[in-house]
Amino acid sequence: MNPSAINPVPAPSKLNRWWLKWRFHLNILLLLIPLGFMPRYFADVALFRGDSGLGEREVGDVQVGPWTLKLAEFRNEAPQLDGPAGYMKHFSAALCERCINEVKATYLRIGKPRSLRAAGSLFEGTPHRMIAEVPIPKRATADAELWITLEGWDGSMHQASVPLTQASPATVAWLEQRGAKR
Amino acid sequence: MSKKSRSKIWFLVHSWLALPIWFFVLIVCVTGTLAVVSQEIVWLANPDVRANPPSDDAQRLGYDQIIAQMKQAQPQLIIESISRHDEEHFALTVGVSYPDGRAIDVYVNPYTGVIQGESPAFNFEQFTRALHGWWLVPFTNGYAWGWYLVSALGLPLLASLVTGLVVYKRFWRGFFKLPRLAQGARIFWGDFHRLAGLWSIWFIAVISITGTWFLIQAILGDNHISISTQAEAPVIAREDVPRAANGQSVDKVGLDQAIRIASQQIPGLEASYIALPETAYALLEIGGRGWYPLMYQSAEINPYTGTIAAAHLLGERSGLEFVTESMRPLHTGDFGGLWIKMIWFFFGLLLSMMVLSGLLIWSKRTAQATLAALKRSAKAERKQAIAAPHLALTQETSEASL
Repeated sequence: MNPSAINPVPAPSKLNRWWLKWRFHLNILLLLIPLGFMPRYFADVALFRGDSGLGEREVGDVQVGPWTLKLAEFRNEAPQLDGPAGYMKHFSAALCERCINEVKATYLRIGKPRSLRAAGSLFEGTPHRMIAEVPIPKRATADAELWITLEGWDGSMHQASVPLTQASPATVAWLEQRGAKR
Repeated sequence: MSKKSRSKIWFLVHSWLALPIWFFVLIVCVTGTLAVVSQEIVWLANPDVRANPPSDDAQRLGYDQIIAQMKQAQPQLIIESISRHDEEHFALTVGVSYPDGRAIDVYVNPYTGVIQGESPAFNFEQFTRALHGWWLVPFTNGYAWGWYLVSALGLPLLASLVTGLVVYKRFWRGFFKLPRLAQGARIFWGDFHRLAGLWSIWFIAVISITGTWFLIQAILGDNHISISTQAEAPVIAREDVPRAANGQSVDKVGLDQAIRIASQQIPGLEASYIALPETAYALLEIGGRGWYPLMYQSAEINPYTGTIAAAHLLGERSGLEFVTESMRPLHTGDFGGLWIKMIWFFFGLLLSMMVLSGLLIWSKRTAQATLAALKRSAKAERKQAIAAPHLALTQETSEASL
């Protein structure tokens, strides 16, 4: 197990000696991995707790009928592939203090929904901080719009849209790149 | 092949399994050992997580009373979940969200409903688990590669156990052989390594098998293969969710009543955690340990009517699930209170010491053998002899030279 001992003819060089002495301690360098990821780890903790805000990139307040909603991109990045479900993008939102008791459900969809039943992904969480996972339609283009549907406890329904260029520049860039490949 | 040279090879295999990665293995063992008692360490360090009764005869409040107290103190908070620790001396952990968009855990006194404090941004329990479990590598798509890196250690650990027992002649006689103190460090650490190894056979088997399961779990998960019998969480149909005139709220079943309903209809269901509905169409989940302490069972309740919409019970689990779902609690020792944790902590320490003692034995012997080989090779250069290296190899690898 000791190459210089098995083949004793060349005299051990300095490098060789260093190698023999330290080869089994080189794995200490593996510690650089968690050290390197530590800033990212704490940034993620702050993001998940909401210490650093609703998401990585705030889109702003959106007026939806009588209510307002604060929208954010959970991560400021392109959609991620989620296995067979396809590409997904996470948005986070908070309802205005006044609407908390009036709004029953909040939906998000790329492209205008045809009806309330097809309003898109349901935001989950609490009105202070809720997250929706939006599938990216295969035929979506860079000029698509993000549609928000709010359903009231009284049965009313209100909609508003935000251009994707405003809601998620990272998704637009990704869509443009995907379009170019086709 | 002779018996002697075969055992020599086993010995070499045993050494090589951990030697090149000894520090990585050591840190994984140490952080795992800390993770076992991380909640207890937090309990000692942070008074907020303790459940001190205001008087000797104080009774724990019901969940509805707890929520009422919390809402009175902080009217704007919204409660997402409540969980009660296995050990009575821990405060309730309540997941809440605030108007500023934060969603965090707060610690609540189970006797008074007083919010004793917020969970700190640095969560020691989560940090040690993240360091131990995936080397802090972020999960971006599926399991983090750090998860694979750590869980793959289950295989060399299992092989170390097997080869260690093969190499140790008549190991069953060694359970009461105390380490020799008077004959120098190498002898002592050799004796220690063997004695600790013998008493840890069961523990190393448990940790390495469950660790290997984590590897399999990641492979299954990343290939979207599921072995779960649990149905997709049902949602409440649109027409079954009541409407309310503007500004008025719909009636919902109280938590205490929901727990009563669930435990009446499902005997043996314990309510150690409650997850409130995440949308207007979602169900309330109540769960806890069943008769088999390593697994949880749960019931999902319609918050508007109080009927049980779904249940995930022990009796419905497959045999395979009993095995796979037991893996995690067996690995962490978190299934039977403080004493089991202390046993896991002790053997975790012992395993860490075995990595260190294994390294000490090897390096002390290797240092000497290398020195000898270097001297000989210097001589050999002059004399052109080639017999010496075989001697060096023998010295390095013989169990008898311990």
